[in-house]
Amino acid sequence: MSAVWRAARAAVRRRRLQTAVIGIVVGLSCVLIVVALALLAAASGPFDQAYAQQRGAHLVASFDSGKATDTALADSTHRSGVSAAAGPFDQAAVEVTFAPDPRAPSTASQPPPLVMTVVGRDQPDTAVDELHVWQGRWAVRSGEIVINVEPTADVPMTLGDTATLGDGRTVKVVGLAYTVSQSAQAWVTSGEMATLHPTTKQMLYRFTAAATDAEISAGQAAVTAGMPAGALLGTQSYLTLRFNAELTAGVFLPFLMIFGCFGLVVAVLIVANVISGAVVAGLRHIGVLKALGFTPNQVMAVYLTMVLLPTVAAAVLGTILGNVLAVTVLSGAFFESYGAGAFHVAPWVTITALFGVPVLVGLTALLSSVRARRLSAVEAISAGSAPRPGRGLRVQRWLGGTRLPRAVSLGVGLPLARPARSALTAATVLLGVAGVTVAIGLSSSVTAYVDADTRADAVHLDVRPAKGGPTLSDQADESMLRALPGAERVVASKELTMRQIGGTEPTQVRFYRGSDAGFEMPKGRWPAAAGEVAVSPRFLTQSRLALGDTFTLERDGKQLPVRIVGEVLMGAAEPVLSHWATLTRIAPDSRADSYEVKLATGADVSAYVAGVKAGDPGLIAEPASAPSVIVAVYSTITLLTLLLGAVAALGVFNTVVLNARERRRDLGTLKSIGMTPRQVVLMMVTSMAALGLAGGLVGIPIGIVFQRYAMHAIAHAAQIVIPDHMLDVYSAPIVVLLILAGAVIAAVGALFASRSASRLTIADALRTE
Amino acid sequence: MHGGGGPHRLSGMTEDQNVVRLEDVRKEYGGTTALDGVNLQIRAGEAVAVMGPSGCGKSTLLNMVAALDRPTSGTVVVQGEDLGELNETRRALFRRHRIGMVFQFFNLLDDLPALDNVALAAQLVGAPAKQARARALELLDELGVADRRDVYPAALSGGERQRVAVARALMNRPALLLADEPTGALDSRSGEQVMDLLLDLNQIGQTLLIVTHDQRLAARCASRVVELADGRVLRERALERTA
Repeated sequence: MSAVWRAARAAVRRRRLQTAVIGIVVGLSCVLIVVALALLAAASGPFDQAYAQQRGAHLVASFDSGKATDTALADSTHRSGVSAAAGPFDQAAVEVTFAPDPRAPSTASQPPPLVMTVVGRDQPDTAVDELHVWQGRWAVRSGEIVINVEPTADVPMTLGDTATLGDGRTVKVVGLAYTVSQSAQAWVTSGEMATLHPTTKQMLYRFTAAATDAEISAGQAAVTAGMPAGALLGTQSYLTLRFNAELTAGVFLPFLMIFGCFGLVVAVLIVANVISGAVVAGLRHIGVLKALGFTPNQVMAVYLTMVLLPTVAAAVLGTILGNVLAVTVLSGAFFESYGAGAFHVAPWVTITALFGVPVLVGLTALLSSVRARRLSAVEAISAGSAPRPGRGLRVQRWLGGTRLPRAVSLGVGLPLARPARSALTAATVLLGVAGVTVAIGLSSSVTAYVDADTRADAVHLDVRPAKGGPTLSDQADESMLRALPGAERVVASKELTMRQIGGTEPTQVRFYRGSDAGFEMPKGRWPAAAGEVAVSPRFLTQSRLALGDTFTLERDGKQLPVRIVGEVLMGAAEPVLSHWATLTRIAPDSRADSYEVKLATGADVSAYVAGVKAGDPGLIAEPASAPSVIVAVYSTITLLTLLLGAVAALGVFNTVVLNARERRRDLGTLKSIGMTPRQVVLMMVTSMAALGLAGGLVGIPIGIVFQRYAMHAIAHAAQIVIPDHMLDVYSAPIVVLLILAGAVIAAVGALFASRSASRLTIADALRTE
Repeated sequence: MHGGGGPHRLSGMTEDQNVVRLEDVRKEYGGTTALDGVNLQIRAGEAVAVMGPSGCGKSTLLNMVAALDRPTSGTVVVQGEDLGELNETRRALFRRHRIGMVFQFFNLLDDLPALDNVALAAQLVGAPAKQARARALELLDELGVADRRDVYPAALSGGERQRVAVARALMNRPALLLADEPTGALDSRSGEQVMDLLLDLNQIGQTLLIVTHDQRLAARCASRVVELADGRVLRERALERTA
């Protein structure tokens, strides 16, 4: 065993506390970094892999059969930039009713009919969108249907189940296939399709360049060139699907990355503090080592090894834990496999955490331990025994003359004696406060957004028909709800599943009767007449449409052109909102399926709910709840805030331990002249609280900058628009609380260490001359 | 000397009562016995020197009297206060009001100038800064180092540091002044000055307990010498002070 190794091991044994602090902080940072990077890698990895495997379509285009001839569609496949194509396939929106799920309770009602995009395709393995038939077989004759289901999804049907089409015919499910291009929801043979009277042709294209919207648009322009106006009914871009694949992960990534980086910087600061503290506290030890014949490099190696031992151990443990956490949490919450296999953490993520973190910490230790290398033996030994004159003396003297209790004024002056250490500690607290600021800002902004989205500015109730249906008429129910005490606004609505021509996914359209239902509208206005709709920013992004554009909705063979008159602040739950007058054009005899009730502030919710039940037992009234993803965001933010706060407090704890160790003699002296244990604690806590306040003051603006960055990143990932007023969430009381947060983080960290300092045996302390 | 007020005394206590009483005090550190059944009484106004070779238990005895450490067994009573019955806070308050301590290596706070080092003892009791500094200056003046009030310890000579330390020890008018090798780190001239100082203090009624190797210091300042060996009191003898 080498002398360096022996000395380093002895140093680790002497500094168990610091070793533990380094280990905990490095380990936590590794966990956060692995989870964040794994999420980053998993956000689009499986989607891209599945897309490549299936030769997915960069553009799914729907053409009007009457305007785009088969010859024109065949010509389109030879245009410049088209690398492969499939089609034309007949396509129709078909109402399909599946037999009840045998696993469902016997009392369950008949499932409602679904409007599905059905495509006539005779084979699954075409040049584009090569389908993965993962159960059963492809449809080869009339009366057979293949359903689009992801292999990992919970499938509500089995092979051999039957489904009834809109015209009453029955088809049998013979296969389950999956298309990552989302080109259809079901497939039948081309012969079967012909009997469904399709009016739309589907073409699937792959382009030589499809990385940006501009390239997809250029490809679209090339394939539609020369076709008559109105021939192209709609398109679906590969980039939209990719964006959706990254959406949930994208919401979490910004703050996971921010907290991960904050954690790593805190780890670096703590390591710098520990090493420089160890050098200062161990000056005599360094001198002795050098006097014994240790070379400067060996002395430095002792200090590096002292830090790298816990760092490497913690990095290994943290990386393993991060991998376990990433697999268990991410695969359940964020990950969709797209048929590309099980979730795993990308190897580069593990390698980055395992080697990157120790290298970074090692570099920090190297810089901090240079002083140990440079000191001569005589300098070190004399510096270790002779008291150094204090620093910041004028301020300390001034503090001694103030009216502050002496323990407090001594505490405030303490950080001035070690300005570099104090700066590192303040920076640690600063990051802790910045983290708390980001967390509070994110929570407040998300809350403001969710409140606007759910219109939860007062107690909000969803009232919908219970099983058996309402006993009163639609109008009578609405009147009854308005008449109950506490009701401030009642809006009746009805949702229909429709199809946007050109898209394959069903589109939920909600028709409102009454006022604007309280939605915040950043742009445009609320639909006021038939044929007008308001949509979410995400709808506009994914449809590549803008305010004022028109598009066509379809249901039961009826096509309804609508114009976008407003942009509504909301998530993706109800992408298209329209006026009741529009509904009367499609389904004139519809009754409302939901009544949104906004109760006045302070209204008795229970009494209102009871009133609804008494008025019409066929209605159910429930308070609206936050979406689960929002709850997950809150939980994650809270957890990360607590972690970062704890890590920052550990940094302070470490500093107080170092200070107490260095000032052992002074503490002994102060106690010998009558400083009580409580005064010792007060002095040490004050010394850190002062730093905490300073750190807090600087940390808040930094946190605000990161909060805005994170919210913009989240908004971009979620394809939502967040108005400025939802970003400006830091009111004066919150800022005051945040400033205090720095002091609290510091005080908590200092409290534990200073209690042990207060119990210091004076006789021992004064013997350290 | 002493700036008025005199040493702190408990109400009702008479001059002939013992200020310090040790009964069968034993102290062990691990397997080592530092004090082994020590009995000792010090009357008010006495100056007692504890002497003996290194490791005989002198400093341990001083620590017991100063409530800096607790005996393994036995009783330590100072000014009627049984120190064994006091918790840490009350021991701190006891030291604050009843004890003044002078150390071999001064134990001044490096970050504070001489004046604030002295004033600190009163400020911990809650005295306003202005009042504490005024009394500290008075003491520094009496001890002949007032002109060094703004100087930090690192720039003071050994003798000056010890005078500042004595001033700090006297700040709260203690009933008992404890000195642990007060001349041990000083040159002979500074040592002489400190001896004179201690003698003067005792002559105006300050009770002294001095731990020292220095025969001259004992002969000069002490009215009684207690000799320790291997943690036991070997003998006690009264002294006629030398000039």
